[in-house]
Amino acid sequence: MANIEKRHIIDSNKLSGEQYFTSILQEAYSHGLLCDSEIESIQLQCIHFLAYKCERYNGGESSSIRVEAAESIMKSNLYTIGLYLKSLPDVDFAVSELKKSSASEMYQKGRKLINVRLRSAKHIYNLVQKNKLATPNYSYNSTINEGIKSFFKAYNPDYEAHEIPASIDYQLCNPVIDLAGIEFIQKYLENLFYENAFCRNFDESDIHHLLYGYDKEYKELLVNIFELVLTAALGCSLSNRSVVKLGITAEDIKYIHYELSEYNDHLLALKIRETAGKVLEELNIENLPLGRYIEKSLPKITTNILHAVRTNTLDKTFVSKAIPDLKPGIRFVSGAKMHDENYRKLIDELLVCRHSSDKLALIKEKVKSFEDLEDLLFDAMLNEEEITSVFSILGDVEIAALVRRHPFKSDIQAVDLSEAEMALRQYLKNYIDRLPKGKQKEIFEKADSLIVE
Amino acid sequence: MTFEIMSTPASLIQKQAIEEIQKCNEFTSEYGLALSPSDAARLAETRNIALKSSGRIEFGGGAIHKIIRGFCDSPYISMHNYAETIHELTEIFYYYKNETLDLMSDDDLIKFMKNSFDGKCQGSLELLSGRELANMARNIRYGYPPDYSENQLPDEEDEDGEY
Repeated sequence: MANIEKRHIIDSNKLSGEQYFTSILQEAYSHGLLCDSEIESIQLQCIHFLAYKCERYNGGESSSIRVEAAESIMKSNLYTIGLYLKSLPDVDFAVSELKKSSASEMYQKGRKLINVRLRSAKHIYNLVQKNKLATPNYSYNSTINEGIKSFFKAYNPDYEAHEIPASIDYQLCNPVIDLAGIEFIQKYLENLFYENAFCRNFDESDIHHLLYGYDKEYKELLVNIFELVLTAALGCSLSNRSVVKLGITAEDIKYIHYELSEYNDHLLALKIRETAGKVLEELNIENLPLGRYIEKSLPKITTNILHAVRTNTLDKTFVSKAIPDLKPGIRFVSGAKMHDENYRKLIDELLVCRHSSDKLALIKEKVKSFEDLEDLLFDAMLNEEEITSVFSILGDVEIAALVRRHPFKSDIQAVDLSEAEMALRQYLKNYIDRLPKGKQKEIFEKADSLIVE
Repeated sequence: MTFEIMSTPASLIQKQAIEEIQKCNEFTSEYGLALSPSDAARLAETRNIALKSSGRIEFGGGAIHKIIRGFCDSPYISMHNYAETIHELTEIFYYYKNETLDLMSDDDLIKFMKNSFDGKCQGSLELLSGRELANMARNIRYGYPPDYSENQLPDEEDEDGEY
């Protein structure tokens, strides 16, 4: 009996979340709840209200306004009215409100709601900042630290309430769709808060190792951390391991594949759902909204697992952890740079030097730091032959450091590089190509394990 | 269901504009200037065309009322060229609202137009539009005061044509 719902003439699922006001008018008109004259009256009220807002926008200094600016103000007005109508108990109530109240009255109520939503969004943003994960992922950090912060500075609820002036790069597991303006930000922050709350049940180093296992360059990728963590947790539970460490081996993945390949699509979805319940139980998650958010994320993850099982690529879906710190690293310290004046003198000397052998001798004698050598390769106007002979006096680690800092790129990739930089990279590549294969491999391995300070 | 601004009840705005233009006869009659109802309708139509071509929208009578009030005491306007001049001034006005990037208020722009029309241009609309207002708009865009003279602008290029 608890599920009895009142039936409405307008199906609320057909209404647009982003353009609620326009869509409710359309639906009400098509179902005969609003007649022609009522629609015309609402349109006219909106135009009069727009004229008033445009006058305010111009500060009384100009009687005309650019069409784009007026259209944006109109969208903002309609969005604000829509926000108020959405806050009413049901669609029928909203339609009767449309008949009773004027556009400006509904706008004023919507405008007050925006203020409330704005305060609420700021509060959630504070919570998100507090439960933020310590991860090197760039899109995650920049979205939380700068992207959303800029929204609160740039959002203009009076004339651009429908806009989202924020740079949001981090993709959520459940993306926010069909919402705009403050509603979008509020929902985005709520979702992000739940994702963080779930990930905080795990050790940050475990998450780091999991993501490193997914891709060692994950800090540059647009990945959703929560999705990878939840998938790994499901994998652990499926292979009867402890969820907390997120550790899953190649053997476990084989076992999961063996187990799941016997299920049909429907049973597999049920199995994943059941496993998610076990994960929540093991992690002692009793927070209902968080549970609902995880449930909402399951269809996407189930589809990924299902596809992987059918194509025998489960090792791409369930990722094994990799521990980067176990790899031996070479700490490379460049040494103290020479004084600017001495450097200028050296460059002047090199520029007047006629013979390459003299230049080489000078470099050998005066240059004591790697950074000076690097600068010199750009500033001393050396030709390819001279640069190659400089390379030949360097040790493998120095060459590896050069490779690391000046990796060769194709013409298209190197489009942003300066001419000198492109030339240096080309000469370095030519030099390495001439080395024996074994030596080349050694240099590249050293470049990979180099920790440049 | 449309809320597109360009398709909003134009007739309503037009009617309001004609009424406001005709009301101007009350103070222009002092200078021997008056617009007939058909002149007012044509002027409102000119305004519509000027607004459309400059990508702008205006509610109510708008700027024509201000233009008429600003120019009615000009020595270069008499009954025989009154309607025609106001037509042209209306077109020029909206064009330069855009060219000045909306940085100048209606009143300031009309004041500048009036001073130039009565002064340097001696009643020539071509000079007003092609020289005075063009220079003023450029000054505004470059961040100079509106009446900044081009001769005062610092040389931006040296002899070699390099900045």
